Amino acid sequence: MALFPLISNFQYDFVLQLLPVDTENTMDEVAAAAAHHSVGRRVAPQPDKIVRVRRQGGAEFFPRDARLHETDIKPMETLEFIFCES
Amino acid sequence: MPLLERHEWYDIARSTNWTPTYVTDAELFPDVMTGALGVPMEKWEVYDEPYKTSYSEYVRIQREKDSGAYSVKAALERSRMFSEADPGWMSILKVHYGAIALGEYAAMSAEARMVRFGRAPGMRNMATFGMMDENRHAQLQLFFPHEHCPKDRQFDWAHKAYHSNEWAAIAARHTFDDLFMARSATDIAIMLTFAFETGFTNMQFLGLAADAAETGDYTFASLISSIQTDESRHAQIGGPALQVLIANGRKEEAQKLVDVAIARAWRLFAILTGPSMDYCTPIEHRKQSFKEFMQEWIVGQFERSLIDLGLDLPWYWEKMIAEFDYQHHAYQLGLWYWRPTLWWNPAAGVTPDCRDWLEEKYPGWNDTFGKCWDVITENLVAGRTELTFPETLPIVCNMSQLPICAIPGNGWNVKDYPLDYQGRTYHFNSEVDRWLFLQDPVRYRDHMTLVDRFLAGQIQPPNLMGALKYMGLAPGEIGDDAHKYAWVEAYRNKPYQKTAA
Repeated sequence: MALFPLISNFQYDFVLQLLPVDTENTMDEVAAAAAHHSVGRRVAPQPDKIVRVRRQGGAEFFPRDARLHETDIKPMETLEFIFCES
Repeated sequence: MPLLERHEWYDIARSTNWTPTYVTDAELFPDVMTGALGVPMEKWEVYDEPYKTSYSEYVRIQREKDSGAYSVKAALERSRMFSEADPGWMSILKVHYGAIALGEYAAMSAEARMVRFGRAPGMRNMATFGMMDENRHAQLQLFFPHEHCPKDRQFDWAHKAYHSNEWAAIAARHTFDDLFMARSATDIAIMLTFAFETGFTNMQFLGLAADAAETGDYTFASLISSIQTDESRHAQIGGPALQVLIANGRKEEAQKLVDVAIARAWRLFAILTGPSMDYCTPIEHRKQSFKEFMQEWIVGQFERSLIDLGLDLPWYWEKMIAEFDYQHHAYQLGLWYWRPTLWWNPAAGVTPDCRDWLEEKYPGWNDTFGKCWDVITENLVAGRTELTFPETLPIVCNMSQLPICAIPGNGWNVKDYPLDYQGRTYHFNSEVDRWLFLQDPVRYRDHMTLVDRFLAGQIQPPNLMGALKYMGLAPGEIGDDAHKYAWVEAYRNKPYQKTAA
């Protein structure tokens, strides 16, 4: 358990934001934390979709249940949060 | 006794170069302070200032200008301008005074450096007047807003902003330190007077004076006109300095100074002037959009002066022009959403009429920036105001110190431009901002953005209240919507319908 700061680049939003999460968080939990600062604030909700996480410019999404400490994501790395079919 | 005409004595009177005997020339004029790039003293003596004035002429004219501006202020002090002006206009005044007044004092120091270390006698002469100009500008722009302080504490930020860690103030300080506080005399001539003043502020002040008159704020119009006439004189210090450098084989170095200065100046104009013109100015007073303004004055006029001097357009020119379409709209969203962190009240500027105007001036605005404003507006209509306030910080560019932001909605194109340098990752708003850093990494590498300071534990408690305390924003000063959300009523039971194209 350790605080892990990331940068959220959320699909359809206009700005990068600081995203404080925890090393134990799964990608779904990281996505939910990112959504809290964008969806319903400046990005219209899409309730029939899920939000997946990938590196900026990456083609592959991280597995939804992967925990942050199990990945090679670095603190303050910019991640993209993308609406996907569930 | 008849006096000689100025042109009969000016050239000989300002021939003030001399051969030092007690110290060496290099000790008297160290290159690090002159920025002469090894161009010897005698080569600088061809510097010919295009605008010549004598001290007695200067004093007489300045006295007339001062009495004009102060008389208008005194005559209109009891007018209802303050209570009747559109709140958006009051926001423009607060932004302007906070961002500019103490910057003028900084510019005075920069002019003083040219007075002491300029290698050309003409440059030292012109800068002496420029130094006194900037002192006058600082004093005017502190004195004029002061009368409003008892009625509105945000006007106190005319003096307070630069002494605070408010994020826009950090951005302004970072830019001005780079362009003229921490530069040599020749760098200042090029970066402050040529790039910043000729390129941007001179035009900006002309536009602002016209806007003020249009809005009925004759006090501000006369103040800004008074300042602008000084700017148009001392902004001419840089042109002849560039000619000397180019004639002596230093074009590459001169070009780089111009390129750095324009890129940095553009960011500040995008966040201060862009939202002021396209969102804060009441729609009935808008003469042209920010994009049209930039195209006319920067692309049309300034581009020509670059070419005429024998310089090239900066390598990023097309990229900068492309930003005219979106960057200031993104900054406007940031300003409004993080409004508690401002010393002014930003106008949303998104009534249905405003949105039609934005769509006309920036085709596609409704499908991009409008998408974010749709969600904000729906929240306000539904009373979910808490969702229109931030709960985290935007990531701030390691160069501009402004939020990293771009196009949202259906044109989503937001990107970080990171750089790993000596074990630290830096984040930039664009390729140009990253390029700026790489021109002199040692100069920029140790600066901490607001987000860096937050992560280092310098902002306590680590939440919005802690951030406001860190920025020095006291109750009564914290920004909120300029029109107290009155604009939202236009959308009650009536969602925005885009005008058919």
